[in-house]
Amino acid sequence: MKLDYRKALEKAARQTIMIHRANTLIKMILRTIVRAVGLSHAGMFIYDKKRDEYVLQVSRGSRGFKIPAGFAKIRKDNPLIRCFTDKSIYFPGEIITADGVSGACESFGIGENAPMKKFLEEVKDALFSYQAHACIPGFFRNDLVGVLFLGEKANKKKFHDAELSFLSTLASDIVMALKNAWLIEDLNRQIDANKRLLLQTIASLASSIEAKDKYTIGHTERVAKYALHIAHVLRKSKPIKNWERFVENLNIAALLHDIGKIGIPEHILHKNVRLNKKEKKLVKTHPLVGAAILEHIEAFQEVLLGVKYHHEKYDGNGYPFRLKGRQIPLIASIIALADTFDAMVTDRPYHKGISREQARAEIVRNRGKQFAPCAVDAFLKAYPFRT
Amino acid sequence: MNDARKKALVVDDEQEIVDFLEHFLRRFNFDVIKINKGQEALAAYREHKPDYVFLDIQMPDKDGIAVLEELRAADASLKVIMITGKDDKKCQQKAKKCGALDYITKPLDLHELRQKVEMYIGNP
Repeated sequence: MKLDYRKALEKAARQTIMIHRANTLIKMILRTIVRAVGLSHAGMFIYDKKRDEYVLQVSRGSRGFKIPAGFAKIRKDNPLIRCFTDKSIYFPGEIITADGVSGACESFGIGENAPMKKFLEEVKDALFSYQAHACIPGFFRNDLVGVLFLGEKANKKKFHDAELSFLSTLASDIVMALKNAWLIEDLNRQIDANKRLLLQTIASLASSIEAKDKYTIGHTERVAKYALHIAHVLRKSKPIKNWERFVENLNIAALLHDIGKIGIPEHILHKNVRLNKKEKKLVKTHPLVGAAILEHIEAFQEVLLGVKYHHEKYDGNGYPFRLKGRQIPLIASIIALADTFDAMVTDRPYHKGISREQARAEIVRNRGKQFAPCAVDAFLKAYPFRT
Repeated sequence: MNDARKKALVVDDEQEIVDFLEHFLRRFNFDVIKINKGQEALAAYREHKPDYVFLDIQMPDKDGIAVLEELRAADASLKVIMITGKDDKKCQQKAKKCGALDYITKPLDLHELRQKVEMYIGNP
């Protein structure tokens, strides 16, 4: 049966594009190879950076030939690998076949090019150890990323050129897919590291406000905790768009909601008698000051909404804009509730904290007045915020 | 040459591994007995009297080191080769102390494995 290489290649190319998990792709390609060429087995050894050697990643074939991933390896200094990497060997980078190596060995006369002959004998020996009848390198630029090991053809015949070039193309496809997969993994790792850095930066920023106002130690973290609890419950009854982004932003906004207080003198923040009109006006600027501080950060547009509107009230009696009902962004409604709850139950210069139960009752009383009904309902289900 | 044949007992809970080792060892004139359970090793040894045992360490039913102790108690000259994913100095020392002939960690370099097998059987 003649193999239609072009079709098989096209199929492999399609698979390379469609499958992002490199291992799945290698498995499929090896299965194609074993079936299409009719091999006893095929395996792919992939370079392992940590071990600095090549480890068997996938193997396909009949019983006794198939080896579990990670069971076998081949060292970098193995003659088989050196054929592909050692520039001093005159055929680096080419495909190795058992027949080719035997032929080359025999072509040398007695005593002729003894070191090369010895090396080829070693290659032959290594091929025998790995039960390989052909080895095909997969390069990315100048790096040997993987090696395809092929067993014997079922009809015991030699590999012919068309087959070898077909297999060689598949090996490069695999390497390309691997490189892509590794790149994406690296990228994701970097993104995670950046996110962690961002959150830590925000936490330090948030604690800078707390350092200024000793009454609010731990406040921002508690508000963030309550807000996240409320959001998780709320989501069950009301779909929230871009949920993952939303919780990230909610967390950040809750941590930073009072950042604008940085511009308010400490003696006002610590005052234990009623504030005068002027002072009140100044305190009420903190949502806008906070928004002004954060507006330079392009990625914080939603965070900004939470900071700017966290003192708005559902009935329109809040500040600074007296927004009403659904004019208030959800992120701000949630923070407003979490913020008020924590403020009620902790001691402040101007009042002593009330009990959590009293605070809960107060929130119920203000459903649809100070607070958005949906936020209150979610709060009641999340209360008392056990993790 | 029939009298040159050696007998090996292969113990590993993973079927693909025992199958592969069977295949590999047969190329060096071994008769191979395969089992998947550490608990069955001693009985298999008594029944088949192998010259060599290739023994996994981390098996769900019984620890390979315990199996090694058991086998060596039954036959102090038995040649046991540990093949394991446990790349751990302490475990290696323990195996050596219990009389293991060799301790090979996964992933295995098949070229080295072959050289070792040839060395064990004194057949360069």
